[in-house]
Amino acid sequence: MRLSDIMAHAGLSTYAEVALVIFLVAFLLIAVSVFAPSRKQEFDAASRMPLDDVHPQSPRGDAS
Amino acid sequence: MNPQLESFRYDDAIVRKFLWATFLWGLIGMTVGLLIALQLAMPALNFDIAWLSFGRLRPLHTNAVIFAFAGNAFFTGAYYSSQRLLKARMFSDLLSRVHFWGWQLIIVLAAVTLPLGFTQAKEYAELEWPIDILIAVVWVIFAVNFFGTIAKRRERHLYVALWFYIASIVTVAILHIFNNLSVPAGPLKSYSIYAGVQDAFMQWWYGHNAVAFFLTTPFLGLMYYFLPKAADKPIFSYRLSILHFWTIVFLYIWAGPHHLHYTALPEWASTLGMVFSVMLWMPSWGGMINGLLTLRGAWKKVVEDPILKFFVVAITAYGMSTFEGPMLSVRSVNALAHYTDWIIAHVHTGALGWNGFLAFGMIYWLAPRLFQTRLHSMKMAELHFWLATFGIILYVTAIYSAGLTQGLMWRAYDVTGRLEYPAFIETVMRLMPMYWVRVAGGALYLTGMVLFGYNLLKTWQTRPATYEEPVIQAAPLGDYEELAAPRPAGALARFAQAAWHRTWERLPVTFTVMVAVAVIVASLFEIIPTFLIKSNVPTIASVKPYTPLELAGRDIYIREGCFNCHSQMIRPLRYETDRYGEYSKPGEFVYDHPFLWGSRRIGPDLAREGGKYPDLWHVRHMEAPRDIEAKSIMPAYPWMLTNALDFDGIQSRVDAMVMLGVPYGPAVNDAPAMARQQARAIAQSIAAQGGPADLSDKEIVAMVAYLQRLGRDLGAQPAATTVGGQ
Ligand code: HEC
Repeated sequence: MRLSDIMAHAGLSTYAEVALVIFLVAFLLIAVSVFAPSRKQEFDAASRMPLDDVHPQSPRGDAS
Repeated sequence: MNPQLESFRYDDAIVRKFLWATFLWGLIGMTVGLLIALQLAMPALNFDIAWLSFGRLRPLHTNAVIFAFAGNAFFTGAYYSSQRLLKARMFSDLLSRVHFWGWQLIIVLAAVTLPLGFTQAKEYAELEWPIDILIAVVWVIFAVNFFGTIAKRRERHLYVALWFYIASIVTVAILHIFNNLSVPAGPLKSYSIYAGVQDAFMQWWYGHNAVAFFLTTPFLGLMYYFLPKAADKPIFSYRLSILHFWTIVFLYIWAGPHHLHYTALPEWASTLGMVFSVMLWMPSWGGMINGLLTLRGAWKKVVEDPILKFFVVAITAYGMSTFEGPMLSVRSVNALAHYTDWIIAHVHTGALGWNGFLAFGMIYWLAPRLFQTRLHSMKMAELHFWLATFGIILYVTAIYSAGLTQGLMWRAYDVTGRLEYPAFIETVMRLMPMYWVRVAGGALYLTGMVLFGYNLLKTWQTRPATYEEPVIQAAPLGDYEELAAPRPAGALARFAQAAWHRTWERLPVTFTVMVAVAVIVASLFEIIPTFLIKSNVPTIASVKPYTPLELAGRDIYIREGCFNCHSQMIRPLRYETDRYGEYSKPGEFVYDHPFLWGSRRIGPDLAREGGKYPDLWHVRHMEAPRDIEAKSIMPAYPWMLTNALDFDGIQSRVDAMVMLGVPYGPAVNDAPAMARQQARAIAQSIAAQGGPADLSDKEIVAMVAYLQRLGRDLGAQPAATTVGGQ
């Protein structure tokens, strides 16, 4: 029996649908966490990062 | 303040190097682009010289603008921004230099080997195996240097631009390696380990994601850094940019198969690709809005500042081409657009508009800072902007109309129910005016490029005698303290505070692994079924391997880049089968290493070419196409009638095929002799038809053998299938 026979019986096309759902869920979790209000301060600091070539915006010990 | 500050300097010398390389290769790549545009309007410009013919130069153009121009632009911006975002000098100056020179060496090798006809025949992955290995090595060097810099950073949070860079670096490595797996058949010759449908699937998984992770994500990273810089204000919404990032990582990879709609690909795969492509609208428009809104309140500045203008057009072009991409993946639109110039227009909106303009905007912003002087002329930059903008408008309107025209003509039926334009050449001639407009558009864009170079040169000439290298001071990061920091009690509270997400965003290793896993998992689910489910590629008993001579002919077809103009894939659509004959079946391609379906029909499909014309017709047509078809734009290949065929070299090619599992039988030991025998028979038939006397040891016989074989196997079946078109 060849590998392809085994795989043919495994019904892989449904796996793709399962993976799709998993990806969607993972993505939603991330989306929710990104929009958590508690992170405003952190994001504000981060968004200023490109504008300052000299001073780190989130240096050591910064507990934002 | 932390007492133990560290002092360091940013390495801008390497950024200057990449900047010049960007300009230089951009100029060359676009010049070649203009030449091949001219060749399509005026085939005499192929000069009957092998290394100047369209099929060989087209890959040179695409590789030069993608990997040399856009690649070096990405490196320019990445080396500049990463150091500043991480508050650290690059990990190793030596690795930076090796990366730079290694990459330029690859480009030079490409510029030499492609015109000489060394190609793997896979779009944007044409380079032969030794160069592929070099690319992998240089890429790893870049990755080590980049991740090394992250490891010694003095800024804890990784700014979103860096995420885009990380995803690009990781994904490009994966794509490159898997698409280029091949068995060498000589120092500059190899055969893809995949065949037919699988090879096509791999290739467009690669092709699609190369666009994403070489032309989109790196440039999005650049946008998220340089747009705030140029506008001097933070990005409109940092949250949106993070969301933008994750949608691309999670969705883009899945959307590859839409490049192969209606081809012999299983239906579920292209449906999946289509669904995901359409979902891609969300992030790309989110990203575009994010970019444009960053400039809110600064529109007055945009009017005055060419740099911001470049950014605005770049972002708009991004929005437009990412709107169009998903639209093209919808089956009915795809049926019309596939194989036509529409796709060429689509990629040029992206390449000229998005990549080109973003690179120009970025470099105009960088040049005065890197050369520590003022930009020579803002007026000239403004002129560059307008020339290039009108260039793009001319180019894309002409080529969109060309695509639409040809697509509609191919499917037009007259009142009696027959194809309205049965002669393919009619659909070619109709495009000529548009091809000339494209030439004009391209020339404008290139003129802008020349001004750009002049402006840069003049700016560079006013640089100081020695560059200032300011010393920066910042505290080292030390260990990741946040892991030890007290966490909120209760799982729910922790989740709500998004501690998990925040934590791994800060841990580059975990983050990178996450991205890699997302990419790999998605790819596997996309790819595995095509490889392992037998029923996806039903075998056809009458399909046999190419004879040694046909194989040699196929390799000439590959060398000359015929697949840049000819498809070998008839879609199951009535107007296709009426024109070309029975539609292509997956099982017909099981010995095609690599697949040669092509992606553009500048000439007609050749999948059922075998037996359509006598041998002599092909000899004459290859020697001088316009003697046969006065309006043809196909290059002439007179050298095929004089070049001696390397019979002895055929054995190693057959051997490589055997290694790939192609059942060659007696040819395993006897390939050259078998090829000679078949060559003599063909040469005799050519002579008998009134052609040149002895061609039996010339390349043309192999070419004819291959062309006459195309599509014949299916016809050999007892079930009645017609061969050839009308
Ligand atoms: C610049 C694009 C271009 C390239 C490159 C090109 N062709 Fe063509 N080819 C055409 C066009 C256009 C036609 C239709 C006009 C004609 O018959 O010459 C055509 C026609 C043909 C035909 C006749 C098809 C038919 O059924 O009437 C054959 C066979 C052919 N080409 C083979 C080749 C081979 C082999 C190569 C590579 C060595 C090649 N072509 C390279 C554009 C191209």
